[in-house]
Amino acid sequence: MCWSLKELIPPEPVQKQPVVAWGSAESGGKEGAKIPDLSSEGWSSSQKNPLDVYENLGTPQGLWTGGEMANPVPSACCMVLAAVVVVYAQRHSQPDSHTQFERVGADVTMKCGSMDWDAAVTWTVNGTDIDESHLNGSYLILKNVDLSQSGQYSCYEGSAWHLKYQTTLKVGTPPREPVLMCRSNNYPKGFYCSWHLPTPTYIPNTFNISVIHGTKEMVCEKDAVPKNRCHIRYLQLFSTVKYKVTLTVTNALGKNYTTVTFDEFAIVKPDPPESVVAKPVPNNPRRLEVSWQNPSSWPDPESFPLKFFLRYRPLILDQWQHVELSDGTSHTITDAYAGKEYIIQVAAKDNDIGTWSDWSVAVHATPWTEEPKHLTTEAQITETTSASTSSFMAPPTTKICDKGAVVGSGAVAVCWTAGLVVAAYSVLFI
Amino acid sequence: MAGADSPSAALRRRDLCARGIRLAGKMRSDVVDLLDAYVEQQGLDASASVAAVEGVPPAAVERWDEQTGTQRLLENLAAYRAFRGLLAQMLEEQREQLGEADAALGRALAAVLLQVSAFAYHLEELLRLESRGPPSDEGDGPPPQPQSVFEQKLRGLGVLRELAQWAVRSARDLRQLAKPGPGAGSAPSPAESP
Repeated sequence: MCWSLKELIPPEPVQKQPVVAWGSAESGGKEGAKIPDLSSEGWSSSQKNPLDVYENLGTPQGLWTGGEMANPVPSACCMVLAAVVVVYAQRHSQPDSHTQFERVGADVTMKCGSMDWDAAVTWTVNGTDIDESHLNGSYLILKNVDLSQSGQYSCYEGSAWHLKYQTTLKVGTPPREPVLMCRSNNYPKGFYCSWHLPTPTYIPNTFNISVIHGTKEMVCEKDAVPKNRCHIRYLQLFSTVKYKVTLTVTNALGKNYTTVTFDEFAIVKPDPPESVVAKPVPNNPRRLEVSWQNPSSWPDPESFPLKFFLRYRPLILDQWQHVELSDGTSHTITDAYAGKEYIIQVAAKDNDIGTWSDWSVAVHATPWTEEPKHLTTEAQITETTSASTSSFMAPPTTKICDKGAVVGSGAVAVCWTAGLVVAAYSVLFI
Repeated sequence: MAGADSPSAALRRRDLCARGIRLAGKMRSDVVDLLDAYVEQQGLDASASVAAVEGVPPAAVERWDEQTGTQRLLENLAAYRAFRGLLAQMLEEQREQLGEADAALGRALAAVLLQVSAFAYHLEELLRLESRGPPSDEGDGPPPQPQSVFEQKLRGLGVLRELAQWAVRSARDLRQLAKPGPGAGSAPSPAESP
């Protein structure tokens, strides 16, 4: 849009009040300098002799007053300002904004609005001039576009830089077949479906999902978070009729869809058990007590009980031990290796239908181990032999006689022999 | 006879429910195995959709959580009585079609029929405990006979599928019944559950 100066400058004088106009003499301040006569321009002077003012003020300017015509100085300023505004507006005025989507690898031709092919134009992308080698006349040619060429393209006319056309180019791809998954982790309340694209399209996509059960179309309510998920309430339970869910993804370059069909029971998969805790059992070097809670998302464990699968292994081994538990939320491991740190996990499944949950967060625990007693024994012997002059120190008989530390029957015999020797020495030196 | 709410009746109900739940679980497991064998032996597509077959009680139910205990028992009993007749018919058809060619399938069918009969009796006992007594077993006569061999096969597929669903539903129903509370009341709505 262009404006002329006439449109910008009002036809009437801006000022209608008495004003003071200053006229400057051609020669500066000397006696006899000529004061310009502005009376013909509608100005009147209250000074009988403007020279009196000149002499009094010591300035070369004359003093005139008037009330009918705009002061020429502010008027000139307005004109200049208006001109600047027009030029700026013309240069930066916004033509209709366009957005165009193109496939990666496509050849793109942009026309400069309604400009003729042979018009002299300049194209920019994101404010940067585009080399003329990309131009065919006034058309911009982009061959084999890639993602980095997305941006705002502008076309300016000639040297005046009138913006004639502007478009936002978005380079992307049509959607590939989406990945759709449905699951019920809160049976029998309902189930949810979630989806994603296997590869990004780099342009906006819209997703539409339809859920059909027999002849009935069901509503899948979109979740606020995450955005690629919706949930359905079961209207019926124990149905043999399959559910059919179709997800369609559409963008400016194409569309795609996928369909999954499933039975009510097949998608039931609880969340993993929560709050798994494993503790040693005092005075039991081979036991670990494990407890957990039903997943909080499972709405009615009393009517729809879960069964559990527990797995555990010492950190130093790769082989897991497994235990399936049909009820209860605790279990005692009784075959742990003494002193070894264990890793333990639990999974859950509806008692009758569906599949196992993922494994819970792993917990670590080490079975109870007995405190070493040899330090206590040495102290006792030192006390009982305090009167003796011998510096003999009894060997740590308790530790080596500790059944937990002894391996094999031969070592037991050695242990007893050592104990007898120590007892004999103790008797001799008391 | 002890009242429905007496301690002994409550104990008896819990005991019957617990045994019924175990029976339903075993029955479901056997029906699923039978279904696999039936599909293979009859040359059917396991994923084929079978429209609702006349005379086969659908396990599907709306507002299941709002049912009373008596409703649950009555609906279960009606279903298992119907299955008893349908399985007996299937057994007869299977013998006619295959003779002794697939004795294993026949034995499996007979075993499931026995479990269905036992479960129906179990439900009758529970209804007697509710001081209600089971309805008479006169029914509407034998189930309608399919016209063709193919229709027989499809109906057999439908019967076994619905029976497998019913076995799951029955276990859930009995768990609801076994909950302590004022008799065999309705379960809390899933919307109220945490």
